[in-house]
Amino acid sequence: MNCEDYREAIATDPSFDGGVGHLSECAACQSYRREMQALEEKINRALALDVPELHVPELPELSTPKPDNVIALPNRRWQSRTWFAMAATVVVAALLGVRLIGTGIEHESLADEILAHLDGEPFALRVTDIAITDERLNAVVPADIARMDHSAGLITYAQTCPIGGHDVPHLVIQGERGPVTILLMPDEYVAEPQRLRGDNVKGVILPVGNGSIAIIGEREERLDRIRESVLKSVAWST
Amino acid sequence: MHSKQAAIERRQRFDQQVGVYHQDMYRYAAWLSRDKSIAEDVVQEALLRAWKSLDALRDNASAKQWLLTIVRRENARYFERKRLETVDIDNLTASQAALLAEQPDEELDDMRQAIYELEDDYREPLVLQVLMGYSTNEIAEQMGLKQGAVLTRLHRARAKLKDQMARL
Repeated sequence: MNCEDYREAIATDPSFDGGVGHLSECAACQSYRREMQALEEKINRALALDVPELHVPELPELSTPKPDNVIALPNRRWQSRTWFAMAATVVVAALLGVRLIGTGIEHESLADEILAHLDGEPFALRVTDIAITDERLNAVVPADIARMDHSAGLITYAQTCPIGGHDVPHLVIQGERGPVTILLMPDEYVAEPQRLRGDNVKGVILPVGNGSIAIIGEREERLDRIRESVLKSVAWST
Repeated sequence: MHSKQAAIERRQRFDQQVGVYHQDMYRYAAWLSRDKSIAEDVVQEALLRAWKSLDALRDNASAKQWLLTIVRRENARYFERKRLETVDIDNLTASQAALLAEQPDEELDDMRQAIYELEDDYREPLVLQVLMGYSTNEIAEQMGLKQGAVLTRLHRARAKLKDQMARL
């Protein structure tokens, strides 16, 4: 390690404790280190603002859904009559503006529920180039729900999440402008594409067979390209 | 009865995590927004959002990062809603000036002002590293950056502060 490397390391993180060999022989770097540590102590003190007393806002009561209100969706291999009944139930529920999820929070629409869900999973939206494994993808997207391969893009997150009263695969792929969320919802019928718009995101819920797929990304993301690759990479199993 | 117990446990879990991390939430919000009043609003909104989505926090060990991520988003929402303009250091509102309220220690005042004047891109990683104890990798995840970019910003942030303090 030379002086330049050492100083760069210490300026990036003054707690850096490498380069001991160089430090012991270089008086200039010893002096620089002391200087940076003194600066760090001042930064630390300056950042530690006085904090006002904690006032927790009035928190809404989160009701537990009553069994009677929960739409029962049994096994996945339904007959077409069951599908029509299901679709009708979903439409009625949407018209009534009532959607219940596991936490008991009501949402006025599927789009609202999806946006609220994304807010609750900020960890999913990290920029990374580490793909999930095939095992993970297969565990989250089991064969009885859908088949999905890696051709949609770099899949960096996969988790089973509750949407519309069902556990659905929640995936994240890396787009050009940042992470893009994909929700595979084989049980959520939508008659036509629905646009989604959050504070900093945009997206669409696409009708796919008897279910739907939601794709949400940053406002500047080119979702049309991602949409094509996602639709090619997914096939419902039912 | 069962659901009542679940509600109590949920509230206890919320209070516990917020009690531990409230100071970090406020300070992060304050240095992001550079305004004490906005920071308080942002924290209030963040607490509400955290309460509603508490079930998404699967592991309490991740609570700090989870809460700070919510604060970051709420701050972005706040500024998007208000479309606030860049702060001019010579034309501060009372609430902005309160962040720089004079301290008995003049050196501390100077440093606080120097940090205040840093560009957002430099100030935020510094706050996350120094105040929150984040690693450069964690900062990269939080800010959606490559680790190399974080290292560069931290380096430049300290260089700017060092220059600024040397000029005084």
